[in-house]
Amino acid sequence: MTHDPQAVCIVMIEDDEGHARLIEKNIRRAGVTNEIVPFTDGTSALAYLLGPDGSGQASMGRALLILLDLNLPDMTGVDILAKVKATPYTKRFPVVVLTTTDDRQEIQRCYDLGANVYITKPVNYESFATAIRQLGLFFSVIQVPGAEA
Amino acid sequence: MLLAGALTLLGIVTMSGWLAESTRQYSWSVGRTTNLRVAAGTLLSQLQDAEVGQRGYLLTEDRQYLKPYEAASVAVDRTIATLRRLVEGNPEEIGIVERLTSLATDKREELAQTIELMEAGRRDEALAIVRTGRGLRLMDEARRSLGDLITPADAQLDTQLAAMNSQARQSLWVANLGGMFILLVVGAAVWIALQYTRDLVQAQQAIQALNDSLEQRVSDRTMDLQRANDEIQRFAYIVSHDLRAPLVNVMGFTSEFEAGLASVSAHLDRQPADGDDAIASEARRAVKEDLPEAIAFIRASTTKMDRLINAILALSRQGSRTLNPEPVSMQVLLENVAASVRHQASELGCVIDIAGPLPQIVSDRLALEQVFGNLVDNAIKYLDPARTGRISIRARDDGSRLTFEVEDNGRGIAPQDHERIFELFRRSGVQDRPGEGIGLANVRALVRRLQGEVGVDSVPGQGSIFRISLPKILTLSPENTAHDA
Repeated sequence: MTHDPQAVCIVMIEDDEGHARLIEKNIRRAGVTNEIVPFTDGTSALAYLLGPDGSGQASMGRALLILLDLNLPDMTGVDILAKVKATPYTKRFPVVVLTTTDDRQEIQRCYDLGANVYITKPVNYESFATAIRQLGLFFSVIQVPGAEA
Repeated sequence: MLLAGALTLLGIVTMSGWLAESTRQYSWSVGRTTNLRVAAGTLLSQLQDAEVGQRGYLLTEDRQYLKPYEAASVAVDRTIATLRRLVEGNPEEIGIVERLTSLATDKREELAQTIELMEAGRRDEALAIVRTGRGLRLMDEARRSLGDLITPADAQLDTQLAAMNSQARQSLWVANLGGMFILLVVGAAVWIALQYTRDLVQAQQAIQALNDSLEQRVSDRTMDLQRANDEIQRFAYIVSHDLRAPLVNVMGFTSEFEAGLASVSAHLDRQPADGDDAIASEARRAVKEDLPEAIAFIRASTTKMDRLINAILALSRQGSRTLNPEPVSMQVLLENVAASVRHQASELGCVIDIAGPLPQIVSDRLALEQVFGNLVDNAIKYLDPARTGRISIRARDDGSRLTFEVEDNGRGIAPQDHERIFELFRRSGVQDRPGEGIGLANVRALVRRLQGEVGVDSVPGQGSIFRISLPKILTLSPENTAHDA
């Protein structure tokens, strides 16, 4: 069972509101019109994804794509990634790690935990904008499975 | 202590020698006295034999009795000769023997006279001579003289014996005391040796304990340093990442701002400039000149900030990279370094001279490439345009270490900057070349990780020599091998 890509909701977990705004702007410039739900800390993002009981049933039937920064004030993005991938209701949501860290070990760990894409934020803004726009193009063609009923 | 023991032993030996000498003298004296006694007895009995023979003959007129007389008369001379030999060197005794000799002569004359008269048949005359008692007196005198000879000799013998006994007692005492003393000395020596041994063992234990605690202290200190170092590494890493995030915003929104400004500018371009009032022309100038200038400054600053952060990040990464010691041919490595700048060097007419063959080293190849790459880059970068550039690279063997020198004839470094140039973001001299002041800081960080030292000798206007001393074989302790950042 697949969803119409337009129905896919993008969950953006990014503590830097400036970054979040720049990411959103560039995704929109790529022509992506999907709803974007922003979170600036790990706790509220997890509450949304897994529900208040942490079981993940809240995400049942949702079609989400998660944009994840690793440097969060209350926890590291790796913790969120691990929980999302360990929960049956959320484990199939594509996770795009978008962060400043380009440490080899960190990248490996994210892929080991089940991250689908790992992108290092380019510091140069033109490269950054290009990367996000390409990501937006990628979002427009990607198929996101609905959560298990 | 031992000297006292040795002296005692020497004393005992001397004492024994002295005693042995005394004993020898005494036994010689005993022998002499015995011989004297025997000879004296013999002389007396010979004289008596002669007298007995004479009496027998005078009584019986039988010539048979003359035989013992004749034998004894001859033997007396031999006995007297023996006596003379025995008393040699003793004037008193010689006197006695002389008197004995004359007495014996007189006695024999008396005997010979009576026998002659008898033989001549004048028996009465012979008997008359005997009756005078002269023969008897002579014999008594001879007995007395012999007594005189023997009695003092006996007395002397007794004295000598007594002396020897006392000497023997003394020797015994000395030997006993000496023996006891030697035992004491040996005991003391053994005690001292034991004491020394115990002290030595204690000292050794103390040293061992000290050594152990020293090792413990060194490892504690090393751990502290390691922790501090790790802390700095983490700090540098975190700082560079956390500084980067706001910078992304500054750069990003500057770009957004620029894009917005471009659309405003495009809009203004469509408005005819001649219809502007004062406010509109002010806005036009801001859009066309002031704002682009401001944006340009923001960009330049953020770009520079970005480079500095990248430099810190690179340095912190460098500190956490795992070193991999392997055999490296410095000849090949430095030829590669020189080849990578050949194009630049030939443009400047600069010669790079490697005084080969350079030795092998066991170290981290990547770090060595960066170190020498940086030094050669710098040498080319800061050549003096007034003269033809010349860069020489050579090596020196210092036992367990190798010293490499990279010499140039470039612009040189002022003495007050010789230490400063190795600090991060610090540069020296005329600032007419691009750079952030990172290269040499990186060189020093790398060389230190390779357990080496880097220093510089330089005269401004003449050139610089960078010296790098490295261990021939880099051995990594477990603490400074792998660190994952």
